[in-house]
Amino acid sequence: MIVLVLLLLAVTPTFAQSDLNISGFLQSLYGGRIDKNNPTNTEQTASETRLQLRLEHFGDRGEFFGRLDFYYDGADSSQYDWELREGYMKFRMGNNFDFKVGRQILTWGTGDLIFINDVFAKDYYSLFIGRDDQYLKAPQNALRMEYYNPLGAFSLVWTPRFEPNRLPRGERLSYFNPMADSGRGAIVGTAISPSYYFDPPVPEPKFKNSEIATRYQRRVGNFNTALYFYHGFYKNPFGFDPVKMTAVYPKLNLYGASLRGAVFSGVLWLEGGYYDSRQDTNGDNPFMPNSSVSGLIGFERQVASDLTVNAQWQLSYMLDYDTYKAQQQQTNPQGYIRDEVYHLLTSRITQKLNSETIILSGFVFYSPSDADVYALVSAEYKYTDEISLKVGSNIFDGKHQSTDFGQFAKNDNVYLKMTYGFQ
Amino acid sequence: MKNATRYLSASLLVLALFAASAFAAYDATAIMKKSHLSYYYAGNDGITEVNMTLTNKRGKERKREFTMLRLDLKEGGKQDYYTYFRKPSDVARLTFMVHKIPDGNDLRWIYIPSIDLVKPISADDKNSSFVGSDFTYEDVSGRHWTEDNHTFKGVSQLNGKPVFVIESVPKKPYKGFAKKISYIDTTNYLPLKEEYFNKRGKMIRLFTANKIETIDGIPTVMVRTMENLKKGSKTTVAFSKISYNVGLNKGIFTERYLKNPPRKYIK
Repeated sequence: MIVLVLLLLAVTPTFAQSDLNISGFLQSLYGGRIDKNNPTNTEQTASETRLQLRLEHFGDRGEFFGRLDFYYDGADSSQYDWELREGYMKFRMGNNFDFKVGRQILTWGTGDLIFINDVFAKDYYSLFIGRDDQYLKAPQNALRMEYYNPLGAFSLVWTPRFEPNRLPRGERLSYFNPMADSGRGAIVGTAISPSYYFDPPVPEPKFKNSEIATRYQRRVGNFNTALYFYHGFYKNPFGFDPVKMTAVYPKLNLYGASLRGAVFSGVLWLEGGYYDSRQDTNGDNPFMPNSSVSGLIGFERQVASDLTVNAQWQLSYMLDYDTYKAQQQQTNPQGYIRDEVYHLLTSRITQKLNSETIILSGFVFYSPSDADVYALVSAEYKYTDEISLKVGSNIFDGKHQSTDFGQFAKNDNVYLKMTYGFQ
Repeated sequence: MKNATRYLSASLLVLALFAASAFAAYDATAIMKKSHLSYYYAGNDGITEVNMTLTNKRGKERKREFTMLRLDLKEGGKQDYYTYFRKPSDVARLTFMVHKIPDGNDLRWIYIPSIDLVKPISADDKNSSFVGSDFTYEDVSGRHWTEDNHTFKGVSQLNGKPVFVIESVPKKPYKGFAKKISYIDTTNYLPLKEEYFNKRGKMIRLFTANKIETIDGIPTVMVRTMENLKKGSKTTVAFSKISYNVGLNKGIFTERYLKNPPRKYIK
């Protein structure tokens, strides 16, 4: 650790020739749910005004970037808050090493809103209420090192403190709680009881609980190929602690690979991963998820000048399924028992009109095995270079109330967003 | 009499040779090739700041600002392009890379820094608009001269400058245009004007080189305009801070630099 700090100090860039840029935006987002009887405190899924300031500074050998959000949020109770969305320095050591250190947004893998090997923190809550794409990812405090050589690029991301996904917490968006309704499980929110405020404990701040994500990437012909390894925890609290009676983040090792490239006048991607659930290696622990193998294939094509369409198919195969099924039948016979193989189909359509000043977009998730669906539709109008207006909707539905999207069935919403960008 | 015939045939032969050489000088394909190279392949590489003004039919203006890096891998062949967007605010810091493959589909990537996302983009349609402007991707990186049949139409004058007039017709049916008339400067071979026609013979787009300057000894179109006559819109592009032969490295046109803009060239 000390060596690392010294290393950082040694390469502290000197800003001899430098440039400082300030930019940002002001944004108002209002959303309301269109479902009745949602057990949440408010009918407003969003009522926020946000000021984002971006600050960047370049030196000869390094650069700094900061992105700070201040916001007023009045959907539930009035509150002011702020968040450092990004705050990192970037620098190079020698010719082959790139470092990015600090609070940062991280992404890798090939899927479009399907993440197999991308185990960096997502903010599904922001996605569900219509915030901008940049809020889909939650920041992590991390150190990223990338090493480039003719054989490929090797990346290592070390996140000292586990950063979970951000999920609906029951205040504005309801969710499924398997313990509710006397253990039968139900869709809950804080209007039923404040105890349904969903805030599971994260792994303790110990070095052994830090996250390590690695990738080796290499171009092979027209394709970008990659291998991945992750050591940490499931980003969603899929586990349960029967003593503390709370959801927990199970330990995870993840091994994966991906391939993406231009073929058939479009872009094709393939990705796969083996989720090794370290606290349930034989699948016999009823409180922890079973290990699984997941695969994805996707293809995107520009079908007309301003019209792009893609489609994806994800498969997820649960290991030790018979054990899972027997446990479920025993503990919760009325509850939903998922299939051994989970299927998810998605499609995105983007149409740009009027010299790209109008953008119509639709994205649908549909799982034939879980019988649930999630659709995002939006229309954006760029009135000027500074001002844009967006309306959209998030629609969930499902046959069962415990599935990934089915649990949010009462959270359907529409939103309106206005943004003024400046620099 | 015999001598006279001999003289006549000899002089006819000389005349024919002259005519042939004069014709060779006006080989339309050669002119278009030379024009393409001087317009799209100036120097071995180049960097420029680009200011784009998009004006719609009601006169409403939008601006785009970006820095563009270009590296020629083969004269008249493969090229790499790198674009760093500055304005408008919603695309600031976004980077875009193209590996141009004249006899195949280009490869394109975009990097969206706010979500740290590198994404290849399907690049099937070279006729689609570049950042919502009246220029297409093909206008930016060039339509290869071998894709059209060229006919020499004569030498004319355009704003006091002598120009070659060339008619180009796509070899394979192309939705971008059915016929193009180019007016090429006879001294520096830069296209001064291009008229694009649809298959009904109606002019649909009009390109004009508005200002030419010599930078590092290379004649360069500093201001250019594309009018879309169908939509009534136009886009004006002004280049500034141009430098040629700066020694750009192939390594810059990779994912590493897509994520980490080369600050030596892009501040």
